[in-house]
Amino acid sequence: MGAMPMNDDLKILLERIRGLFKLQYRTRYWVMLVDDHFDKTYNFFFHYQRKQQRERSIPLHAVKTYNLEYLEKLIADLRSVYHFNITYVGFEDEYWPSTHRLIQRRRLWDE
Amino acid sequence: MDYANEPKGVFFLIDNKSFYASVEATMRGLNPLHTLMVVMSEQENTNGGLILATSPLAKKYYHLQANVSRQRDLPQDEHLMVVPPRMNLYIQRNLQINDIFRRFVADEDLLPYSIDESILDLTHSWRLFGDSPREVAVRIQKTVRKELGLYTTIGIGDNPVQAKLALDLYAKHTDDLIGEIHYDTVPEKIWTVDDLTEVWGIGNHMAKRLNRLGIHTMDELAHANPYLIKEKLGEIGAQLFATAWGIDRTVLHQTYKVKSSSLGNSQVLPRDYHNQAEIETVIKEIGEQVASRLRHHHVLASKFLLSIGFAYASSENGGSSGFSVGIRIDPTADDILVATALIRAFRKHWHHEVIRNVAVFSGNFSDDSAYQLDLFTPLSTQEKRLRTEHALDLIHARFGFTALVYARSLTEGGTAMNRASLVGGHNGGNAYE
Repeated sequence: MGAMPMNDDLKILLERIRGLFKLQYRTRYWVMLVDDHFDKTYNFFFHYQRKQQRERSIPLHAVKTYNLEYLEKLIADLRSVYHFNITYVGFEDEYWPSTHRLIQRRRLWDE
Repeated sequence: MDYANEPKGVFFLIDNKSFYASVEATMRGLNPLHTLMVVMSEQENTNGGLILATSPLAKKYYHLQANVSRQRDLPQDEHLMVVPPRMNLYIQRNLQINDIFRRFVADEDLLPYSIDESILDLTHSWRLFGDSPREVAVRIQKTVRKELGLYTTIGIGDNPVQAKLALDLYAKHTDDLIGEIHYDTVPEKIWTVDDLTEVWGIGNHMAKRLNRLGIHTMDELAHANPYLIKEKLGEIGAQLFATAWGIDRTVLHQTYKVKSSSLGNSQVLPRDYHNQAEIETVIKEIGEQVASRLRHHHVLASKFLLSIGFAYASSENGGSSGFSVGIRIDPTADDILVATALIRAFRKHWHHEVIRNVAVFSGNFSDDSAYQLDLFTPLSTQEKRLRTEHALDLIHARFGFTALVYARSLTEGGTAMNRASLVGGHNGGNAYE
């Protein structure tokens, strides 16, 4: 990576994921990303679940730059380091600016 | 009963439905009412986890009654989401909610009652927002839901106690989350309550005392002899009798002034402590915390109380569960003087029991504009000590508590560093920002 400037949001996300990602046996890890319409932020959560146990959801970071282009870039950067599945919530009918693909394919059952 | 001379207004008591869990649900884009979620604190001293809040659905599914229960009471269910608390976020949300309330009442008619409850006096303003108090309540609910995603429960009454009872007894159990009690509905709404402990102000203990007087329902309480109740139960009894009749003469903007206040801190230790040096470290830390708060309030205290609670095993053997010692010293807010006095008292009363709780309280305050010099210590030493502590307080205020601590807080047993980031003993969640 070398001289590539890493923005603060990415740095915080990577640092916190590193602290939480313990690679435990029989455990599923994923990231939940929420378009928070109330606070106008993108909220990242780190989720993990051991088989037949409760699901844990740890807040990672709230991105205040409320702009899809910025978010798309941030996720691409994040994906270059970690390959977690990302669950999108609250992005109904929104499209990624560069590919024009639907961001969230499924609606949550309670929305 | 003639209510003609009783104060009559329009009061709302508004409560946030499962507040912490609801805030966490909205942050995750989930509907607070349709989510299976618990907020669990996993601080060192919670013994595996303490449930701080439960979403309404989780309460129903897992039969979790009281809000604060233990991790072991919670089933391992794949559908349940467990999240850590963020106290600072809840405080911020509470402020936002109260800002919404301020659009409906004047500042002096709003009384935030706890982190998730507020009392609103809408007597003078409700007509501006609807044709009936209930219509205004719906409007407030919709505003909070739309702007913050949260559901609010509203009790409406002609006075604050009626609003509180309407909230607890009715609003929390109906679909529209609104309950109403008025003077003319007291018999049907209050006297019909058969379980005394459902009523605000009556716990298990008080219920038993009332039972002994032959009172088992609100109807019986309302029709008991008030003089007998007051004689047997004191002022509280008289108050409960008034509650049974839905009577409350509080004036909201007349704030209550306490006669003598006290200031203190306490904590449950993360494990059993038996090493004297470790215990003394914690006592000193708490003493310093109290002293620093005294300085912050610009007062000196001349009375201190040290309370030590023994660990379960220790109290089983010895029979006693701990001790409390009162200490009188010259008025002070000095770290060293407070800590020394506490340690001296501790050494005198401690006989090597294993301990789990430490509390320090201070009282008998005087203004700190006058400082009592001590004849036996050189003036320059006393002055220097005052200045050092003042500087320490400034550094803490500006850079945070952990910026500069006494070295012994880093030793085994010290808890101050870990607790510095907590709010009310739980994760503040500063890390989120």
